[in-house]
Amino acid sequence: MSEPVKNPDDKIPDDFQAPKNSGDSDNPNDESDISTSSWERFRRNGYTRYYTKRTIWFLVTLVAAAILNFILPRLMPGDPLAAIMQRVAVGLHDAEQVRAIYYHYLQLFGLDRPVIEQFFIYFGNLFRGDLGLSFSRFPRPVSDIISNAVPWTIGLQLPAILTGWIIGNFLGAIAAYRRRIFDKIVMPASLFVSGIPAFGLAVILLAVFALNLGWFPVTGGYEIGLIPHFSWRFISSIIEHYHLPFWSIVLISIGGQALGMRSMSIYELNADYVRYSRFMGIKDSKIVRYVFRNAMLPQVTGLALSLGTMMGGAIVAEIIFSYPGLGTALLQAVREGDYPLVSGITLVITVMVLASVFLLEIIYGLIDPRVKTTQYE
Amino acid sequence: MKNQIKQLLKSGKFMVGFIVFMSILLFITIYPFFVPGNPLQMIGYNSFIPPGTYLSLYDAVNPNVFVYTLRIPGAAEARIVNTLPMSDREAMRDWLVRAGMPEAAIDIYDPETLLALWNANYDPDERIEGMILADHRAYQRLNNRIQGMFDASALRLYSADPETGEPQFQAPITDTDYIALSDIVNIRRLPLGTDNFGRDMLKQLVQAIGVSLRIGLIAGSIATAIGLLLGLVAGYVGGWVDEIIMFICNLLTVIPGFVLLVLLAFSIGPAGRSVTIVGIVIGLTTWVWTTRAVRSQVLSLRNRDHVNLSKLSGHSLPRIVFKDILPYIASYVVMAFILQVSGAILAEAGLSMLGLGPSTTEVATLGLMMNWAMSFSAHIMGAWWAYFPVVFVIALISFSLNLMNTGMDQIFNPQLRD
Amino acid sequence: MSKVILEVNNLMTKYITRYKENVYAVNDVSFKLEEGRSVGIAGESGCGKSTLALSLMGYYFPPLHYTSGEIIIDGRKITDMKPDDVRKQVLGTEIAYIPQAAMNALNPTRKVIKFIEDVIRVHDPKATKKDIYDLAQQRFELLNLPKEALHKYSVELSGGMKQRTVIAVSTILSPKVLIADEPSSALDVTSQKMVIKMINDLMDLGIIKSMIFITHELPLLYNVTDDIMVMYAAQLVETGTADQMIFDPLHPYSKGLMGSILVPEDGTREAKITAIPGTPPNLKKPPEGCRFAERCKYASPQCKVLNVEVSHLDNNRKCRCLLSEKELREVYKDE
Repeated sequence: MSEPVKNPDDKIPDDFQAPKNSGDSDNPNDESDISTSSWERFRRNGYTRYYTKRTIWFLVTLVAAAILNFILPRLMPGDPLAAIMQRVAVGLHDAEQVRAIYYHYLQLFGLDRPVIEQFFIYFGNLFRGDLGLSFSRFPRPVSDIISNAVPWTIGLQLPAILTGWIIGNFLGAIAAYRRRIFDKIVMPASLFVSGIPAFGLAVILLAVFALNLGWFPVTGGYEIGLIPHFSWRFISSIIEHYHLPFWSIVLISIGGQALGMRSMSIYELNADYVRYSRFMGIKDSKIVRYVFRNAMLPQVTGLALSLGTMMGGAIVAEIIFSYPGLGTALLQAVREGDYPLVSGITLVITVMVLASVFLLEIIYGLIDPRVKTTQYE
Repeated sequence: MKNQIKQLLKSGKFMVGFIVFMSILLFITIYPFFVPGNPLQMIGYNSFIPPGTYLSLYDAVNPNVFVYTLRIPGAAEARIVNTLPMSDREAMRDWLVRAGMPEAAIDIYDPETLLALWNANYDPDERIEGMILADHRAYQRLNNRIQGMFDASALRLYSADPETGEPQFQAPITDTDYIALSDIVNIRRLPLGTDNFGRDMLKQLVQAIGVSLRIGLIAGSIATAIGLLLGLVAGYVGGWVDEIIMFICNLLTVIPGFVLLVLLAFSIGPAGRSVTIVGIVIGLTTWVWTTRAVRSQVLSLRNRDHVNLSKLSGHSLPRIVFKDILPYIASYVVMAFILQVSGAILAEAGLSMLGLGPSTTEVATLGLMMNWAMSFSAHIMGAWWAYFPVVFVIALISFSLNLMNTGMDQIFNPQLRD
Repeated sequence: MSKVILEVNNLMTKYITRYKENVYAVNDVSFKLEEGRSVGIAGESGCGKSTLALSLMGYYFPPLHYTSGEIIIDGRKITDMKPDDVRKQVLGTEIAYIPQAAMNALNPTRKVIKFIEDVIRVHDPKATKKDIYDLAQQRFELLNLPKEALHKYSVELSGGMKQRTVIAVSTILSPKVLIADEPSSALDVTSQKMVIKMINDLMDLGIIKSMIFITHELPLLYNVTDDIMVMYAAQLVETGTADQMIFDPLHPYSKGLMGSILVPEDGTREAKITAIPGTPPNLKKPPEGCRFAERCKYASPQCKVLNVEVSHLDNNRKCRCLLSEKELREVYKDE
C-alpha cells in the first residue's frame, strides 16, 4: 500500500495536542488542557482507550471460554467420572492402573465437592498449565501432547491463512477494478471455492498431486522414521510435507476473502473522495491505491471475524494429511473418547483464536486512524 | 413484497442459485422412484467397485439366451488391444528397440500401432545379435501368444451335472457370438460405483443430500428462531437486556463456533447423537449473526414514524412486532436462514470428519459418507468416486445457496448494487 | 467589459446507464463567465445542475460521457485536449471543484497535508515538501483553519472544519474557475454563511478568478452571485443578473421557481407562494418542442412541437421561450 504503517510513537504525541484556535466545540480534543496531568491526557487518548478496551475484552472472553469449557461437559446427564471410567476401562486391563486413573480424576475434578469448589480447582489447574492426563496415552499429560502438536498447527495455519488472505484481497481488488473481465470469472469461482469444505479440497489435492502425480508425499508432517531434530534432511522433509496442507488451506481462504474485498472495493470506488480526488487531478493509479488501502482495513476486521471458522476448517483438513497438529490429535482423542484431551485441545484452539483476534485488533488500531476518533462517541 | 419477488426473478445470480438448488431437490425426490431399495444395502462384495454398468455373467452365458452372429470388422483386433497386458507391450517394445527401431517411434499406450509394428517387423527365425537363447525363445512364445489371439477358436461352455458332477457340454462360444443387452435380466448400473462396503454410491448420495439438507433445515430453523427472538428483544426492549444479549453475541463471535460444536457433540456422546440432535446442536451454535442483523434492523425501525404511530394508536406489542417490524426485516431473516442452512451442511461434514457426526448406521449424511471414504482410505485406493462426488455436491449446494443469498443481498441492500 | 475566463458553447454530455440507455443530462448549454464575476445555477433537483458542474471540468469518466460542444477556459479549448493533459494541466489550476458531499470528500485514511502533496505534485512533480507545507499553512491561516489540521486525518475533523479544509484543498492551486456544488446544503446556517464568506474572500483576494455556485436555494444565490442561470430538464432556460432574475424573471419556469420562494424584499413580500404543477420530464425520453410546455400555463400547441432556441435579449439576458420578452410581459400583466 502507498503508505506504510505509521510508527505509533510519531503519531501519539503530536496528534493529541489540541488545535487551540480551531473553534470547533465538537472536537473532543479541545477539552484537553496543558494543566492536566500527563496521565489524564494518556487516559483520554483515543488509542489508549481503544487498547484498554480491547485488552479487557480479550481477558473477559478468555475467562468466558474457560467457563464454557468447564460447564458444557458438566451439563450432560450422568456421572462424568463413571462415563470416563467406562471408556478408560475398555482400553486398560491393569486394575492397578484403572484405580490410579480413577483417583487421579476424582482429585483433579474434585467431583465429590460442590460445583463452585470444582470450578476453582479447575481454574487453579488451568493456571498451572495442568490439563490432566490423557486416557488414550496414559500417563502422558494432556499439556505435553498438546504442546507437541501446537507448533505444527500454528506453523501450518498462520502462514497459510495469511497467504490466503493476501491473495484473496488481491484478486478481490482486481475483480472490483476490472469489473467486466475478472468479475465474471473471479466472483463465481470464489463463491464456488468458498463453498468447498477445506477437507474436501485437501482430499482432492492429495489425490491429484500426491497419489496421481507423485509430486508430494501423502501423509504426515515429515518422513516416517526421521527423528525430529535440527538437520537439513529433516527440514527439507518438513517442507516437502508442508506443501499440500498449506495450499489446500490457502485455496480455501482465498474465496471468502476475495468476495469480501470485492464488495468493499466497489463500495470504496463509489465513495465521494474518489470522485473528488479525480477532479483534483490525482491519477487513477494513485486513487486505486487509496481505495485499496481503505478497503483493506475492514478486511483486517473481516479476518478477525472469520478466523474461528477458518481455523476450524483447517484443523479438519489436517486430518486428511495426518498432519501432526491439533486436528489429528483431536481426531484420535475423539475416537478413543479421551475426554481430557478433547477438552484441552478445544481450549487451546479457543485461546489461539482469541489471541489472534486480539493481535489483529491491535494491528488494526495502528493502521486505521478512524479507530482513534470513534472512541469518543 | 410482490415487487421484491419480481426483482428476485430478474436477478441472474438469485435465479441461477435457485435453479441449481431446485434441480438438486428435484433429483433427490425423483431418483428413489426409479431406483428403489435401501440405499445402505451392501450389494457389492468387493470394496470400491468403479462406476459402470454391470451385467450378470451368469445370465449372459445362459444357453437360453438367443445368440446372434455378427461379423464386425476389427472386433478381434479390438479384443486383443483390450487384453494385451502391459508386460507384453513392454516386451514387444524391447524387441523392436533391439532390432534397431528408435524408442521414440514406439508408443506402448497405443496398442493398435504397436501390434501393426510388431507384425510388420517381427520374424521368429531372426535371432538378434547378442540376444541369449532364452530371450529369443521368450519372444517366440510371445509372438505365438499374440498370433493365437487371432485364432477364433471357440470357448466351450460346460455345466456340472446335478447328479454326477460330470461336466456336461452346453454350447460353444465363438468370437462372433452376440447377445442383446435387453435379453439380460440382471443389469445394474452403478453410475458412481460403490463404496468400501459395496453400497451403491449414487443411491447413498441421494439419501445423504436429503438427510444433510434436513440437518441444515433443523439447524437453520433453530438458529433463525433463536436469533430472531433475541434480536427482536435486544433491539426493541433495549437497555440492560440488550447489553446482556449483545455481550453474549460478542462472546460467541470470537469464541469459535467450531469449538463449541465439538465440545457439545462430544459431551452428548455417541449414544445421543442422532441426525436431529446434531442439527439442533449446530443450530444452537450459529444464531449469533441473525441476532446481530435483526437487532440492528429493529434499532433503526424502532423510531420510524409508522412504528411510533402504531405505538401511539395503542396497538399491542405482538401486533407492532408482527405488523410493523417483522415485514421489514423478513428479507434479512430469510437471507440469514439461507446462509445458516449452507453453513450447517458444512458444519455437519466437519463434525463427521472428526467422528462427531450423527452416530447412525440407518442413514447416510454427506459428512458420514466423507468420513467412511476417508476411514477406508478411498483416496489412497484411487477410488475417487467414493469422495469426489460428495465434495462436489457439498460445494454445489453451498454455491447455490450462497448465490441466492448474494442475489438477494443485491436487491435488498441497494447500496451494494453496481 | 472584462476578460472572459470561461466560455461554454453548446455543451452536451450524457450518462450511459447500465441498461445502455443514453440520458442527456446537459443539453445545449452555452454561457460566458467573465473575470471577477460569479454565477449561480438554480433548478429543481434532477434538472442536471450537478451534472453540469461535473461536465464543466472537462474530465469525463463513466457513467458520464462527453458528446459535443466546447469548453474554453482562458482561451484554451479544453474539450480538444487529451484526458491526461486535462488532468495534469487543467484540473486544480484552471478549474476546481467543491463537491456536494464535502463531508466525505477527503480520503479518511490520508492526512490532509499528504493529500495536498498529492494534488500539488500532479502539476509540479518537483515541488519540495517545505514549499507545499508553507503554501498549505498560508492558505489554512487565510481560511481561519488551525495549521494542526494539516496533520490530521479527515475523520478527526469536525463537519465545519472538513468543509473549510475541502475549500482550502480545492483552491490550493489558485484555480481560475471554482465550481461549488451546493457546498453548504449539509451545514447549519452559521456554517453556511461562513463557507460563502470564505469563497467570496478567496475571490476578493484574487486566489480564484471566477466562481460558479450551484444550489437549489435561490435566496442564497441572490446574496452570493452576480448572475443567475436557471436550469430545467438539462437545458438553461434563462440567464440574467441576480437582480433581474429575482425581481423580474421572464421565463415562465423561472417565474414559477421564484414564486415558490419568499425573498424578504419589498415587492415580493406579498407575492403568493405558488407551486409549479406537474413533474419534470423524463430525461431518457425528453419531449418534443419546449421541455417545459407540459407544465407551462401559457403554453400554446406550437410550444409542444417547435424547437425552442435561446433568444438574446437586452441587458445580456437570455431566455429560452417561444414568446418574446414583450409577449411575456403582456401575458404576465393580465394576471
